[in-house]
Amino acid sequence: MKKKEIRIVAASIGFALCFGIMPVAGAMHIMEGYLPVGYCVLWGVVAIPFLVWGFLSIRKTVSENRRSITLLAMAGAFIFVISSLKIPSVTGSCSHMTGTGLGALLFGPAAVSVLGIIVLLFQAILLAHGGLTTLGANTFSMAIAGPFLSWGIYLLCQKLKANRKVGIFLACTLGDLFTYCVTAFQLALAYPSDNGGVAASVVKFLGVFAPTQVPLAIIEGLLSVVIVIALESYASPELKSIGFLQGGSEE
Amino acid sequence: MDRGWIWVIPPLLLCLAGAVLKACRHRGEPRHHHQGWGHKHGEATLSIDIYAYMSKISGWNPGFKVGLSVILLLMCVIANNMVVSLSVILITSTVTVVLGDMSLHHYLNLLTVPVVFLVAGSIMVLINFSWTPVAGAVANLNCHWFTIYITATSVHTTLLLWGRAFGAVCAMYMMSLSTMSGEIFSVLRRCHVPKLVIELMNMMYRYIFIMLDTQSRMKNSAQSRLGYCDFKTSIYSFGQSMGNLLIVSMKRGSQFYDAMESRGYDGDLVFLEEEKPLDKKMLLAAGLVISYLAFVWFVTTRGAGYYG
Repeated sequence: MKKKEIRIVAASIGFALCFGIMPVAGAMHIMEGYLPVGYCVLWGVVAIPFLVWGFLSIRKTVSENRRSITLLAMAGAFIFVISSLKIPSVTGSCSHMTGTGLGALLFGPAAVSVLGIIVLLFQAILLAHGGLTTLGANTFSMAIAGPFLSWGIYLLCQKLKANRKVGIFLACTLGDLFTYCVTAFQLALAYPSDNGGVAASVVKFLGVFAPTQVPLAIIEGLLSVVIVIALESYASPELKSIGFLQGGSEE
Repeated sequence: MDRGWIWVIPPLLLCLAGAVLKACRHRGEPRHHHQGWGHKHGEATLSIDIYAYMSKISGWNPGFKVGLSVILLLMCVIANNMVVSLSVILITSTVTVVLGDMSLHHYLNLLTVPVVFLVAGSIMVLINFSWTPVAGAVANLNCHWFTIYITATSVHTTLLLWGRAFGAVCAMYMMSLSTMSGEIFSVLRRCHVPKLVIELMNMMYRYIFIMLDTQSRMKNSAQSRLGYCDFKTSIYSFGQSMGNLLIVSMKRGSQFYDAMESRGYDGDLVFLEEEKPLDKKMLLAAGLVISYLAFVWFVTTRGAGYYG
């Protein structure tokens, strides 16, 4: 508890110091028209194998059990809702979770890649976060890179017999941070710096988003842990039915 | 003043004519403020969806709207040309605000959504860091250890970026502010997106509203019990309500399947769609706009390197 409090205080200080003024509205979505056309195509192509894999995995799940389609749709809607809601932050600025890290832990990274691209499409159409041309780049950073890392870290923590909650916290926080690093890399690749090229540009973009994204990642990790605790205490049968809590490791 | 800029004038005139038309149409009406729509508690999420239903041009053929918007969007991004971007901004805004009869205030409000990202993202394109002051830069800011500098090229890139991004956003808004989501999905279905994905989209779209509604009620009740009184409590309440939301919706998902199955669902969601025939005149107008933009693109990139 003590540690958690310290973390929260640190996060709030970070927030108050760095981002008392500037509101953050879905800052990690690359907006419509920001990327030159070559990079739009590039990231779209990079995302395709993952999407195909995810689609095949979803199709397999659904053909085994038709009933799971409503559950999948619910999962997708849940990811949309969780990533479009303002989360509590000390300054009252407007910030959102990614939600895909938690989604990957609950529903598996392959399914999240397909659900993620639908969610991103909805966010572009309904909320104007992200865009149609940058859909590929956003999908790669938010629905593929982040979730896969979260999933990997979670598995690793289970292998190492680490505390389950610590595992979830690390998985979601690092997944969020990784999403942000990938986005910075995507931006830097498209707009390399005059002197120093892509590497210098990566540092610039990491720097401009770090004040918001680092505390946000920590908050996202905390929230994910709280959500999983709530789920575990009230809905273990449902969690088992969607494949989480398998083996009931340390309960 | 470069000569290429004169090609902005026709779209500008179109825009002005639209403004006059809109002003005439609403002359004498008292100013009214809409505040009573759904999803009011806390956030105005999904307002775009509401505007799409209210739009006067929601009766146009959806395939036509989606196609035109995507073509303009792609032209704007590929051309990467200031004059084309400005023309796209003017034309699409006129279509949305005048023909769609959307309130200008709401439209401008929506345009501010991507601004935060654009500001943060373009500052980094605009400025550069160096250990020593740079000769030939527009501005050098000496920060003792290093220098922040701006060059003419970076200013140019930033301006192009702003134009392109806003053009693209306006083109996308022309689609999303006039086309209902269900129709966009059916256009996607006709583009041979897999049936399973379309089905997931249709279901997710419906569940989103149910979930947002449930969530706002949960939030209201948590708030009335001081669930959001300080930072720590609000983290806890938010997490708890999200967990609860997932549980409730998983249970509901199962019920929904039963309900669908009992009505004969066998893996195919079929919706009744309103027939919206394509008007020849509209096709002609769209062709005119596209060929005008292509012409401007051609002329300005051939003439001077400044725009492209």
